[in-house]
Amino acid sequence: MVNKESKKKKIKSKANQETILSVKDLQTHFETKWGLIKAVDGVSFDLKKGETLAVVGESGSGKSVTSLSIMQLVPSPPGHIVGGEINFESENLLKKSDREMQSIRGSKIAMILQDPMTALNPVFKISDQVGETLNIHKKLKGKKLYNSIIEMLKKVNIPDPEERMKDYPHQLSGGMRQRVVGAIGVSCSPTILIADEPTTSLDATIQAQYLRLLKDLQDEFGMAILFITHDFGIVAKMCDRVAVMYAGRIVEIGEVREIFNNPRHPYTQGLIKSVPSMDEDIDRLYSIPGQPPALWDVPDGCRFSPRKETSCCDECVNNKYEMVEVEDGHWVDGCKCCQNICSSQKSKK
Amino acid sequence: MNNLIELKNIKKIFQVGGGFMGTGSKDLTAVNNLSFAIEEGQTYGLVGESGCGKTTTAKMILMLEEPTEGSIIFNEKDLFQTSKTDQAYKQEYKSSVQAVFQDPWASLNPRMRVKDIIGEPLEINSNMTKKQIKTRVDELLVEVGLQAYQSNLYPHEFSGGQRQRLGVARALSLNPKLIVLDEPVSALDVSIRAQIMNLLVDLQKEYNLSYLLIAHHLATVRYMCDKMGVMYLGNLMEEADATELFDNPQHNYTKALMSAALPSHPDIVRDEIILEGDVPSPINPPPGCVFQPRCLNKEKCNCSKTPPEIASVSAKHKVADCKCCRS
Repeated sequence: MVNKESKKKKIKSKANQETILSVKDLQTHFETKWGLIKAVDGVSFDLKKGETLAVVGESGSGKSVTSLSIMQLVPSPPGHIVGGEINFESENLLKKSDREMQSIRGSKIAMILQDPMTALNPVFKISDQVGETLNIHKKLKGKKLYNSIIEMLKKVNIPDPEERMKDYPHQLSGGMRQRVVGAIGVSCSPTILIADEPTTSLDATIQAQYLRLLKDLQDEFGMAILFITHDFGIVAKMCDRVAVMYAGRIVEIGEVREIFNNPRHPYTQGLIKSVPSMDEDIDRLYSIPGQPPALWDVPDGCRFSPRKETSCCDECVNNKYEMVEVEDGHWVDGCKCCQNICSSQKSKK
Repeated sequence: MNNLIELKNIKKIFQVGGGFMGTGSKDLTAVNNLSFAIEEGQTYGLVGESGCGKTTTAKMILMLEEPTEGSIIFNEKDLFQTSKTDQAYKQEYKSSVQAVFQDPWASLNPRMRVKDIIGEPLEINSNMTKKQIKTRVDELLVEVGLQAYQSNLYPHEFSGGQRQRLGVARALSLNPKLIVLDEPVSALDVSIRAQIMNLLVDLQKEYNLSYLLIAHHLATVRYMCDKMGVMYLGNLMEEADATELFDNPQHNYTKALMSAALPSHPDIVRDEIILEGDVPSPINPPPGCVFQPRCLNKEKCNCSKTPPEIASVSAKHKVADCKCCRS
């Protein structure tokens, strides 16, 4: 019981905690032969200290580009961050020079990538790769460096770290490789850890191990996690808040329970309904008709209209709209038709 | 219900490594003593982690691999023995068993038009004229939710979900009885997955198809399957009707697999059973119960070093009978 109460307190205290990262109206565009692609088109959110914020979306919704924009790792050309602010420790990261960003990347904001086989360099030993970050940011050398490498590998539950650190990435299993990537991520105790689909390539039981490990690391280092995923299950299991992205914009953001119990945007509603459950028999699964729009051809107004059973009115499809707060901390970005408050839709009924 | 196809004590051993002419090679037991049956019009699900032998089993059913031991029974005859002599039987089997693969980007030839991709099985296996094939292709496209005019397009002109529909159309072209679905939705986007699952369920009802569904996402299996088996390191650990298995799992591995599945709502909190370590190598599997090194009761375990028998919990519920793993 005591445990439960303290957990509740923790959740409450998280809600009041200070904002450490604030993204405002971020716009990242890519110039391609098909035209200008607005991969991220006006994304705003806050990340609070010690919380886990999930960014959910399908491929092409802009979730990875959002995280790359925060790290300023968007390949350029063709990508450009054309507008917005990313405020971290009361400074705008977009105004920093490359050199200043280098000292932030890996030490204050770290990242775990999806595929550990490509995230790790195949020709360097594990010790070199874990040690590199520690050496650059903490200036550790020799015996001290060796000890911290072993300490980090122990923290991510690598058995027999003294021997394993001499291995090359191909000698480890998929789960262990991803844990090494995790060790590199947390090695400088960052304030923000961006995890970009870290468990997609792992098996179910290994995924459970890894999610538990991330939670333990979060409790130990007190970092905030920006968890990028397409799986609502991960959101339900380990996140505090969730932002749902669709075609380059956040369509809904709020507390996880609030979003699951009371989704306002038709896309969020559809996504939650279309995931089968392991705990009950379902006769017929709901499926969202159609497919996401091509990003070089998105309308100014409502982007979701073509995928709704009754499409939105012309006014909503053509006019821009703003994000609105429907409940405390629960924001929805949708046209009036999508939120069922449009006057023309009512008159149609 | 009649059994459409039955696997009896199937074993598949691959030779790996070794030097010239295979000297010093090692035996990799991909599938060990596997038996199950797929009934007409039903879906059988195989779940397990990577490397547990699901895909090898599927390949043997598709006749792409020959089992080292054991037999597959189809039409009351041993498939591999009979098809060596009886060409007509082999032909019949091959057209009644088709497959839909995981990756719709890799499983369609980028240089062929849709009409050729879907029409190819018909050209080879039937005596239809070109005109008849064209009509059939158009029919199939409509059947899977695409449009007839799209038969002139190339695969790259389709989205992931549409490509998977093409894969389904190709599998349907010869009116098969069984379709092997190897992770049919795991490469697709979340909002598209439900569309494909519903399409497969609808087609099954319409044509009385049987499916062998290979998946690692348990919720997908619960939605689609009538019966399911849990595999670990080439062995079948537990088998039952899907609902029964989810409500009343017996083996510790099944329990762990289910506890590792992600919840569909934040209020669902499962008892966490987190297994230690990784799946051992199938080249040198543990003696006796293969799950023993990762079992929660391994300290107390004093089971014999012989592989456990298969015991029946109820008429349709079977489990590998290792005492430690079942407590």
